Amino acid sequence: MEELGWLAARLSAAWLALVLALIVLPSALGVSLGISEAYMWVLVKTLEWATIRIEKGVKKPQPEVLKTPAANGIIERDETPMEKEIAGLHRMEFQFSDIFYFCRKGFEAIVEDEVTQRFSSEELVSWNLLTRTNVNFHYISLRLTVVWVIGVIVRYCFLLPLRFTLAAIGITSMIVGTTLVGQLPNSSVKNYLSEVVHLTCSRILVRALSGTIHYHNRENKPQKGGICVANHTSPIDAIILTNDGCYAMVGQVHGGLMGVIQRATVKACPHVWFERSEIKDRHLVTKRLREHVANKSKLPILIFPEGTCINNTSVMMFKKGSFEIGGTIYPVAIKYDPQFGDAFWNSSKYNIVSYLLRIMTSWAIVCNVWYMPPMVRKEGEDAVQFANRVRSAIAHQGGLAELPWDGGLKRAKVKDSFKEEQQKNYSKMLVRNGSIGSLPTGTESD
Amino acid sequence: GRQWQELPPGKRKKGERGSGFTSEQIEHLHRRFRQLSRDQLTIRKENFDSIPDLEFNPIRAKIVHAFFDKRNLRQESSGLADEINFEDFLTIMSYFRPIEMNMDEEQLDRFRKEKLKFLFHMYDSDHDGKITLQEYRNVVEELLSGNPHLEKESARSIADGAMMEAASICGPDQVYEGITFEDFLKMWQGIDIETKMHVRFLNMETIAHCY
Repeated sequence: MEELGWLAARLSAAWLALVLALIVLPSALGVSLGISEAYMWVLVKTLEWATIRIEKGVKKPQPEVLKTPAANGIIERDETPMEKEIAGLHRMEFQFSDIFYFCRKGFEAIVEDEVTQRFSSEELVSWNLLTRTNVNFHYISLRLTVVWVIGVIVRYCFLLPLRFTLAAIGITSMIVGTTLVGQLPNSSVKNYLSEVVHLTCSRILVRALSGTIHYHNRENKPQKGGICVANHTSPIDAIILTNDGCYAMVGQVHGGLMGVIQRATVKACPHVWFERSEIKDRHLVTKRLREHVANKSKLPILIFPEGTCINNTSVMMFKKGSFEIGGTIYPVAIKYDPQFGDAFWNSSKYNIVSYLLRIMTSWAIVCNVWYMPPMVRKEGEDAVQFANRVRSAIAHQGGLAELPWDGGLKRAKVKDSFKEEQQKNYSKMLVRNGSIGSLPTGTESD
Repeated sequence: GRQWQELPPGKRKKGERGSGFTSEQIEHLHRRFRQLSRDQLTIRKENFDSIPDLEFNPIRAKIVHAFFDKRNLRQESSGLADEINFEDFLTIMSYFRPIEMNMDEEQLDRFRKEKLKFLFHMYDSDHDGKITLQEYRNVVEELLSGNPHLEKESARSIADGAMMEAASICGPDQVYEGITFEDFLKMWQGIDIETKMHVRFLNMETIAHCY
């Protein structure tokens, strides 16, 4: 019995040493041994094979080439504007058929609406061997099932413990490292060391998620004294960005482990953490951020103006608060590849722990990050227009749809002012048409 | 918590036969139903509040009402249901099915009648089988509601104008008592409504439906 315990201890020590040598050390030094690349290559080949197997397995012959549904829609929306449709009608039809138009629009909205579908995960066109992404798991072939079972074993028994270990190492070293650096008096040495610690720990954490990130246009990386603005898909967005540079984070103070990390890191680096009560006071928030930005030697702030996690197929309304601070805005577009793992955090469906578990048992997190040229507010542009301009740029770069909707719609209802606009348009038209000869002069309709 | 994950095949078959949707369309509608009902087995009126696109619609209340109207659910002749299940949801959705190429005369006629009946129920809010002038006015007012520039008078004159047209077709007496469904059908003879009252599904050729 004793021997078994001793053996187990030896094995875990060997395991830990291997992890440290092969993963932690290279990431601390910023070099890559090529293990992740090899892993991704194997993964891609396997998934391609799996897709072909599924295509063969489906009984119905599919003559058309598989194409992603346009704009993730399932119904054909009739985009005829209301005016055209109603103007061309016989007057009698018009009187009763205005209700057709709204009936149909109402039904279209009930079958599928543009907004709510952004708050559920993007639909994949082929299966990536994760059951969670295939609700109708049909038995296709024995080989496929075997591969899937192997996949499960690999993911849960090998990848998960590995990632968990790495994450633990990463978080611990972050807390310990920043606390140590925080003891030093303020100086350039301290700043340098704090950057080193942050970068190293981010790299370890990215490895913990098997993250493969492609950075584009690095010459546009956010500079000191600026504000970095990005679209939001998940809590790991921050780690993705800090993997490549140092930022001052902005956020609410949390309890638990997150709170510990926040308190430790703020000693080393001037992150901006707000108490819950302070967040409500918009002026206070803006003031503090302004002070931070005014100091040109401070790290750029990282802000996610959407305010909530969107499923990475679109960019929703940016809250204007971030754009009132002034300073230079550095937009960044982040697009995840859903093929290897869904990074979107559906906070109404999963809590943070189950979300992290899902992430850690996915194949990998693959994403593209585009740094875009800096933007400033133009003369005569107000915060809202500026916000929209930045949002368009990000959406365009990342290939995401632009929606005028507020991310807050995840939980709240549409404002009345929107509704009234539509009704105003309609009634303007109705009065115009209806008042042309209100009484019929013997119009027959068979 | 979750009540069910996916549609049992028996229900799907039944849905196919009854509503005329294909299996894939039913799966999609089923997912939508689950989304709206938050994974419960039935939907209530409040569940429709979670659709932002619907907020735009001036006759939103009438549309939602139509889902719970027992006359549309093919049950007893009148009254409102408190909640509906997926089968009922499919039944209401089937009123908006597009025409299929292979329909014969009789089917087309029945199809048309069903859609017009749905519309009739929407106007006839007191469920007495007749659309009175007041009921029609109510609908027009709802369509125009929220616009401060439009006075009640204009809405009233538009409503009256429509009723006069109806009178010219059905006969003035009917109009005063209220338009019955037969009169309603007469009014719509020869006018193409089938292409206006439908929602067309895109051809979903995806292989494994991933979610």
